[in-house]
Amino acid sequence: MATGDDFEAIVAQYYEPLYQFAFSLTRAEADACDLTQQTFYVWATKGHQLRDRSKVKTWLFTTLHRAFLETRRRQTRFPHYELSEVPLELPAFSPQLISELDWAHVLAALGKVDEIYQAPVALFYMEDCSYKEIAEILNVPVGTVKSRMARGIAQLQRILSDGVSGKAAS
Amino acid sequence: MTPSEVKRILWFYRPGSADDRDAEFNEALRLCQSDPELGAWLEEHCATYAALRAKFRQVAVPEGLKEQILSERKAHTVPMLRRPGLIAAALAAFIFLAGVALFWIRSGDTSEFATYRLRMTSAARRTYGMELETSNPAQVRSFLAQRHAVSDYSLPPGLQKAQVVGCTAAMSWRGHTVAMICFKSGRPLPAGQTTDLWLLIAEDATVSGVPSSMPTLAEVNGAATASWKEGNKLYLLIGEGDENFLRQYL
Repeated sequence: MATGDDFEAIVAQYYEPLYQFAFSLTRAEADACDLTQQTFYVWATKGHQLRDRSKVKTWLFTTLHRAFLETRRRQTRFPHYELSEVPLELPAFSPQLISELDWAHVLAALGKVDEIYQAPVALFYMEDCSYKEIAEILNVPVGTVKSRMARGIAQLQRILSDGVSGKAAS
Repeated sequence: MTPSEVKRILWFYRPGSADDRDAEFNEALRLCQSDPELGAWLEEHCATYAALRAKFRQVAVPEGLKEQILSERKAHTVPMLRRPGLIAAALAAFIFLAGVALFWIRSGDTSEFATYRLRMTSAARRTYGMELETSNPAQVRSFLAQRHAVSDYSLPPGLQKAQVVGCTAAMSWRGHTVAMICFKSGRPLPAGQTTDLWLLIAEDATVSGVPSSMPTLAEVNGAATASWKEGNKLYLLIGEGDENFLRQYL
């Protein structure tokens, strides 16, 4: 079991990004809190088994993502795609337009993206993990990570772009 | 490397991240420096990435989450350490715990119930608005039924003697409504506090690792809790006090 000091330091360092990742997956405060708490509960009881301390972050994100999948019970329904065509041309959507949106709007748009792509997209934008670490967190090959990111980001930007166009038209 | 190949690589480039140390990204970035069109494309890509990244990182973290995480750990560790004769008891209980642990591993996730209990205990004791204030138990059932919360519950004999003061169906767990009925024990309460006993009822299928039909008593963040399963329902009784105080309502 992690010592009290260790535990507090790790909570202090990671609870915010973990919550933000959880929220991007669930878009519900209570569920995101539950997932974050559950992750640290597992860390408190099993974290001592992790010998390589440089992998704490990956371990926590992996645990949270696994807990999320368990709640959804869809793990086996997610097909694995290999990287094929990356959509090089994305909807015209300027950074200025994005900065005018609030985060809740962006997260709501993420909720409309196919569920299988949501976690890769969230990790693409939120975290500084390497692609290898993201592949570990999601338990899929790096090629699949990139494929899902590409498709998910294209969907996200299209949804945001449509939303902005709709507002402008009205 | 063609411009399309450069774009295909840099599509995944995240400025200011671990990607800056990646050889393939660095090679593609070098090519952008000598190609104005690619340079402009990269600039647009980086600006869009930065704008969206800023939005994702603005997600507000609820106040008190960190404290709740830390208190949950204390709830699991401090009471054990304070108990006298822990080592002897632990030795005697080793075989039993090994069996429980085995069941735990096989059944997946009993920690979910602990998280449920902690969250509900914290929520019940926080300041909240009762959606219905009434001393009429029939009105409580009717209100909960209207809100699609559990309404066909049964109260333990002790709790039937306590005075009901209201209820709410505003709490949820994993998207499922949790019914909360508020009671008062009759003890003097601090100004502004109208209730010191809370019964939360959920469909047991919504929480994994639920306890047995015999009430399980536990201290959670200074409150006494009793949890049990009856039929397809999970009951969690929370009281301001110790276990002896709570036992009289079971």
